[in-house]
Amino acid sequence: MERTQHRAFSPARIFAITTNTLTDLTRQKIFYVVLIFALLLIGSSVFMARFTFQQEFQILKDISLGAMSIFSSLLAIVATARLIPQDVEDRTVYTILAKPVPRFEYLLGKLFGVLLLIAISLALMSALFVAVVYAREQAVLQETSRQMSRAPAEQLDAALNAVRTAALNLDILVGIGVIYLKACLLAALTLFVSTFATTNIFTVMVMVFVYFIGHLQATAREYWLEQQSAGWIAGAFLAIVALIFPDLQAFNLVDEIVAGVAIPLALFAKTALLGVFYIAIYTLAATFVFYGKEL
Amino acid sequence: MTDLAVTVEGLTKVFPVPFHPARGITAVRDLNLRVEPGEVYGLLGPNGSGKSTTLKIILGLISPTRGRTKIFGRDSSQVESREAVGFLPENAYFYKFLTGEETLRFFGKLCRLNGAQLKSRVHELLELVGLTNARDQRLSTYSKGMLQRIGLAQALINEPQLVVLDEPTAGVDPAGSRDIRNLIVDLKKRGVTVLLSSHLLTQVQEICDRVGILARGVLVREGRLEELVAIENRSELVLENASEALVNEIEKLAANSNAKLIERRRSTTTLERLFLDATQESGPANHANKRE
Repeated sequence: MERTQHRAFSPARIFAITTNTLTDLTRQKIFYVVLIFALLLIGSSVFMARFTFQQEFQILKDISLGAMSIFSSLLAIVATARLIPQDVEDRTVYTILAKPVPRFEYLLGKLFGVLLLIAISLALMSALFVAVVYAREQAVLQETSRQMSRAPAEQLDAALNAVRTAALNLDILVGIGVIYLKACLLAALTLFVSTFATTNIFTVMVMVFVYFIGHLQATAREYWLEQQSAGWIAGAFLAIVALIFPDLQAFNLVDEIVAGVAIPLALFAKTALLGVFYIAIYTLAATFVFYGKEL
Repeated sequence: MTDLAVTVEGLTKVFPVPFHPARGITAVRDLNLRVEPGEVYGLLGPNGSGKSTTLKIILGLISPTRGRTKIFGRDSSQVESREAVGFLPENAYFYKFLTGEETLRFFGKLCRLNGAQLKSRVHELLELVGLTNARDQRLSTYSKGMLQRIGLAQALINEPQLVVLDEPTAGVDPAGSRDIRNLIVDLKKRGVTVLLSSHLLTQVQEICDRVGILARGVLVREGRLEELVAIENRSELVLENASEALVNEIEKLAANSNAKLIERRRSTTTLERLFLDATQESGPANHANKRE
């Protein structure tokens, strides 16, 4: 057999670990989360038939995007937490790293596997959500056309446009994108915690703690800065807190989107940049710890 | 000059005790080893003697406290030192959600094999370890012996020049154990260096060229097997179809010389041979596809 020249970095090796991780998570039937989402969505749409169409679409978006955010975050934490400890316990990590596989490629492969899983889950949930909203939109459009069949054409057009605006718009996609970024961030942070944790439960507990602090820290910071004069020590302390506990509230654009507030491109770009920064920092930290880990 | 397959120079590994940095546990102390290319080297010792730690350091899975290790002249800390290495850890479980074939394909891809080359290598190895019929079964349904054989196959996926086996026959039944032993002999014939750790001494004696004995992290004996186990002033005669009178005559001759007869007994088979014969008589051994 012809031996290939060793490469310090190989996308093929990372891809092999990514697809393997995805297969692992898929065969664990983790996609059942999507089924729960579907039941929630269909259940709530039946329940909401009694509201006005504006209320109905708003509540539907609120519940769906909220559920997507919670499910994807949960998926990110639970799926990532077990990856490395499980490989160490089963000694599979020995067989992988005894091949010419650098440790950072192993970590990247694992992380990308989870990110792909979250992407597929979110895509499925989004498709379900769009399908339900679209079906309701069509029903409401038909109903409106029927009710206003004798109204002037301009009035009918205005009414139909109001229905379309209330149903779906591009900002929904932005909202789903930000939900995905938040889940990716949580996956990267979970991966970092799991490099030094000894059990899955420890990692999940730490991440639940981080999740709540992350959502509360922005409010706490504002309160702190109002009470104290913002000296450099306080500033440095808050920066460290912000690094350890990511500001998850910054990724909460869903409320505005549901309320119909347009998201400026600059705000989306800033949020995306913040997400990518956090993910890069946590992945680097995970790599640093994992390189020093005695397996 | 050809590089040694494995070089261990002044290796010491101390594991720190949490909250007591001064009180480390010394797993290996000032170890020196040289494994020649193409030989089968057995690292022996009781549990906790430092065998697995030594192997892990050689493979770069843990770092030494002092000293260094090399594989074919390349320091173990470099990833490329593992380019031509296959490793089977003790009690490895692998990914239970994969089938036998998927497992080999995964490890092949890590060695950057693909396409027809990967396909034929996977087929060849499944054949070699007798798991062709179980190729589509998930590893969660494999028996201990089958897991060990798929483990051996993944270790050989990149046609390694050095195969490191940590307790390769631990927990495997005598038939499976014999298969693994035959595979090691076959590797040796093909010029592959094998470094294995074990405490099953009979098996080691059958396949190793040289052995090193570790006790509490220190290498207490090392050398060629036949030299280490030979008793200088003793000889053995094994006779077939010899009459009682002939044996008595030989015994008399010995008594009339300076030699001293230590023992006279009937030859026996080994318990392993008895087990293998008995189990094969009762039907063909088919542990390839069956969970024990």
